[in-house]
Amino acid sequence: MSLEFAITGKAGTLSIEAAGQLAPSGVTVLFGPSGTGKSTLLNMLAGLHSCEGSIRFGEQAWQEEGSRPLPVWQRPLGMLMQKPTLFRHLSVQGNLDYVLKRRGNGDELARIIAETRIEHLLKRQVDKLSGGEAQRVALARALIGRPGMLLLDEPLSAVDLPHRESLLGMIQAVSGSVPILYVTHSLDELILLADRVWLMEQGRVTVQGTTSTALASLSGPLAHRTDASSLLQGDCGDFDAVDHLQTVRVGAATFLVPTAAAKGNGSVVRLRIAARDVSLCRVPPVHSSILNILPATVIEVMPAGAGQQLVKLELESQPLLARLSSRSVRDLGIIAGERIYAQVKAVALV
Amino acid sequence: MVTGCQMLTNADWLALWVSIQLALVTVVVLLLVCTPLAWVLARRRWQGQAFLEALLALPLVLPPSVLGFYLLLMLGPDGPGGWFAELGGLRSLAFSFPGLVIGSVIYSLPFILQPLKNAFASLESDQLAMAAVCGASPLDRFFSLVLPQARLGYLSAGMLGFAHTLGEFGVVLMIGGSLPGETRVASVALYEHVEAGDYASAHRLALVLLVVSLVMLWWLFRWQRRRSVGTWW
Repeated sequence: MSLEFAITGKAGTLSIEAAGQLAPSGVTVLFGPSGTGKSTLLNMLAGLHSCEGSIRFGEQAWQEEGSRPLPVWQRPLGMLMQKPTLFRHLSVQGNLDYVLKRRGNGDELARIIAETRIEHLLKRQVDKLSGGEAQRVALARALIGRPGMLLLDEPLSAVDLPHRESLLGMIQAVSGSVPILYVTHSLDELILLADRVWLMEQGRVTVQGTTSTALASLSGPLAHRTDASSLLQGDCGDFDAVDHLQTVRVGAATFLVPTAAAKGNGSVVRLRIAARDVSLCRVPPVHSSILNILPATVIEVMPAGAGQQLVKLELESQPLLARLSSRSVRDLGIIAGERIYAQVKAVALV
Repeated sequence: MVTGCQMLTNADWLALWVSIQLALVTVVVLLLVCTPLAWVLARRRWQGQAFLEALLALPLVLPPSVLGFYLLLMLGPDGPGGWFAELGGLRSLAFSFPGLVIGSVIYSLPFILQPLKNAFASLESDQLAMAAVCGASPLDRFFSLVLPQARLGYLSAGMLGFAHTLGEFGVVLMIGGSLPGETRVASVALYEHVEAGDYASAHRLALVLLVVSLVMLWWLFRWQRRRSVGTWW
């Protein structure tokens, strides 16, 4: 089942206008700077903020012109807010029971408690939990309600750095069975989690697409950030245990990626490559410390701030960004359509 | 040795019993009335709100005799209260226990309204929103979230309302008179002892009222301190 909406509304002085269709599974990241109305849009979809227009979830009309919207408490959704928002007068177990009593299913309880690793917290009072623990309890509580969809509003903001990764892993695991709309202004979270990206600017959803397309679109804002990155999808080959290098095949090209432990042969992985770590050359150097030098095709060149140019390449049918100085682009005479070599100085598995 | 029963005359015990009954009924009525009232005052913003709040706070500053005078006109045979009284077979609501309850409800209203308003205002909107997301209907949210989280406010409201009604004098004197077992409350009985020059009886009754009020407030403050929650004033 998926969510389909076309709504307008107000948040203070900001007008929100958005339409879209959430994919039936996976993580869709709603991305944009603070104050662009991301949280408001999420609250409108949940029914916590009033709006005009229509919202449908599968066969169920949540909101239609000319009829009363379905109240929040009758919508089959789960939610995480920036703060964990556990019920303060109840214990952890009491928080789980709260939703279990109203719409949950006891069969799933043990599995959800195990997966969110909160067994040891059940008897605690909620004000005795760390930010990460509290948000794990909030995630468990949301899942116990058997949501048709999860709305997550910057759920990592109250979680300290070391615990973010494990919570992200849990969210990713959940996204296989429940579609997730995830609000963030962190590019790292987008790259780690997103299957699809909706960009939001000034109350409007401007771009909807797959993560790698959105990241590499020169007309969109992500490519113009100083930390702009590309995502390449590949599958794992051999692992060199001596040098800790993992072979990743991207089409016919082969990357060597530094990593601590071997990935399973054939497992699908994503490679993150920062635009500023990619340089270009016409002839591949023979003696170079750079491990990954691969042939690519120039698609587009665009100015990107003072003295800088963004070059969009295509490597085995996947987009790759390079950020170069304007002088280099001029001296090398880089123009669209050419074959060229991309030297990738750093690459990471995500 | 003077035992508790010998300390007060039967008439004084009866007066004290009327006071307690009046305070209990008043508190119950006020908790029911003030819950929705405090909710719309604390959690909504609307036109005319400030005026209504001023009107509801009037009993705090008005001399009880002023309040009692208007109530007497309202409850008497020529006022709206008289019309209602006729339905129940009475001539007037003045000088009756139901009339006394009406007077006390108005007189003690701010003492119940204010703690509830503060308790509701300090509830986090996110908690309420999350309860809705967890599948709780509005009524369900009231009982499962608002009531437990505002329990301190309810306790304060109940205790203050009870103690304040127990100490009521001016309004009662104007609209209640002194019918034993009906409208003769402890404070009025005390006044009559003084009028009659019976200082010994006055002393004993005054002491009982003082101790009861002090114990109740002491208990309330201890409770609030233990929960480390501030008082409302």
